[in-house]
Amino acid sequence: MKLGYFKRFLSFLRRKRVTPGRVLMWVIFMTLAATWVLPFMWMVSTSFKPSGQVMTREVQFIPREWTLANYERVFERAMVGRWLLNSVVVTVSVTAGNVILGATAGYALARLHFPGRDVVWFIILGSLMIPAEMIMIPRFVALLSLGMTDTYPGLILPSVASVFAVYIFRQFFLELPRDLEDAALVDGANRLQIFWRVGLPLAREAIVATSVLNFTGNWNMFVWPLLITFDEKMKTLPVGMATFAPAALGRTQIESFAPAMAAMTILGIPTLLVFLFLQRYFMQGITTTGLKG
Amino acid sequence: MVDELKGHMDLLETPEEGSQQMGQAEPQPAVRSGVSGGLNQRLRRIRWRGRRVEWAAYGFLAPFGLFFGVFTLAGIVFGLYLSFTEWGIMGSPEWVGLENYARALDDSWVPLVWLNTVKYTLMVVPVSTVLGLLLAVFVNQRLPGYVAARVCFYAPRVVAVTVVSLVWVWLLDTRFGLVNIFLSTFGIPKIPWLTTQRWVLFGVGLTSVWWISGYNMVILLAGLQGIPEELRESATIDGATAPQVFWHIVLPLLRPSLSLVVTLGLIMGFRVFGQVYVMTAGGPAGASSTVIWYIFDQGFREYRLGYAAALSILLFLTIFAVTLIQQRFLRERAT
Repeated sequence: MKLGYFKRFLSFLRRKRVTPGRVLMWVIFMTLAATWVLPFMWMVSTSFKPSGQVMTREVQFIPREWTLANYERVFERAMVGRWLLNSVVVTVSVTAGNVILGATAGYALARLHFPGRDVVWFIILGSLMIPAEMIMIPRFVALLSLGMTDTYPGLILPSVASVFAVYIFRQFFLELPRDLEDAALVDGANRLQIFWRVGLPLAREAIVATSVLNFTGNWNMFVWPLLITFDEKMKTLPVGMATFAPAALGRTQIESFAPAMAAMTILGIPTLLVFLFLQRYFMQGITTTGLKG
Repeated sequence: MVDELKGHMDLLETPEEGSQQMGQAEPQPAVRSGVSGGLNQRLRRIRWRGRRVEWAAYGFLAPFGLFFGVFTLAGIVFGLYLSFTEWGIMGSPEWVGLENYARALDDSWVPLVWLNTVKYTLMVVPVSTVLGLLLAVFVNQRLPGYVAARVCFYAPRVVAVTVVSLVWVWLLDTRFGLVNIFLSTFGIPKIPWLTTQRWVLFGVGLTSVWWISGYNMVILLAGLQGIPEELRESATIDGATAPQVFWHIVLPLLRPSLSLVVTLGLIMGFRVFGQVYVMTAGGPAGASSTVIWYIFDQGFREYRLGYAAALSILLFLTIFAVTLIQQRFLRERAT
């Protein structure tokens, strides 16, 4: 195993014309890459330190003493369990909505022949120009007068239609050959049957990519849940955990960052893990929506 | 209705249309009995651009259309209406005409928050674009470990703004923050990143650069991979040095990706909110109050929802204008 790596390394040296300049560049960028994740390391490291070892000028990435006290404090002080539940409910529902509505609308826009198709697509794309914050006040006012603040529908429904999801599915179906579907059409199946039995199973890649990308986006949603929830019990994890910030407490100093970092570890780890294991979908998603538009 | 749309449609003719028409096997409508047979027959006969209209499409679009229509399209219209009213949550909105907009011109906070936002954007967009480009060029070399490096650079982008911000509050802590401890090894005195008016935007900006550079890298990486290798090789054979190839061949071809990165960066920059909310609460003394922060403050703390709606419209117009100018600029540079 090790020898294999060594051989590959030697052939690499021959192929790539290794020069001192390139080696130096490699060292610089790899150091930068390591530096880039240093804040996460520091976050996790701080979260396991006893309070006394946090506010110090001594830099220790591996804590001298490990403790779970900070995590205990987070669970004591905040309704982390409840926020976690809220976040899971909201993220799963919104993501499911994104995929279902995105798949059907994307399919129609890519595959079906109907008057108004290009106008509809133009309007959907054009809405990307409008920042979400411009709509947040009317949305808030509307849901407030309907009494939907502090409710799951209030948290979920405004985010269910995702232009991004429509984009991915439309792009995917445009690139997918039509032969199978046409064959089913000749056999007399109707459009819904074709979509369900032929189109959707073929679109597995697009479903996974949309789910993964929208999952992280929805998990991280901040502004809308912040506005629509007043009750502590209805906050989602990113909004609730923000109460650990010194600014939220109305001061700039904090006695110890240890519990705050424990809270951030709880909040950050799920999306970081999803990204680590499914990173190719992130790259693909950005490439499709970023450049083919 | 159909004919009316058809007129517009012809202008927007998409290239794949022709091949679809050729490949499409027109299914024979099965003879059906039933009361609705007559209507069905008539619907089936309706054609648009020479092909049978597939009415099912409207059914497929309906679920998305409903939510999109209610929460986005109607939201825009309602927001516009709200901006001409005065409303404090209780009671009903009262029409005040352009008063909210007039008030925005008088409000001494408006120039401050707009200026802060512009400063922040002008700081974050160039730095994160150049950094993203450098990272993309490096990752594109596919030296050993490049996949791991790509993961590292992109990782900040996938966590919530709360995490990004709060971790950096800790890193930028004046006395015990890692950044100042690191700088002090070079003899640089402690910098009060988040607690002084002079430094606070730099502190928030640094955080954002860390957050979004990896995203820029991925977009630019896709752009770099779209540049044919032969172009570079032939230039190298003609005696061009690596910097010349980069400057005269790679960079011009990368312009669409760069333009996208800058556009997205500008939009994100003008919309900065989460970082401010978590890191500084707009302070000290308003030095890090941005536009959205102020909209939030007016709308949801002072309950001046009409005024906040008007400020949102002004922000949208600003973003729109800046995006147009930027695109014109990048396009002119291209020719």
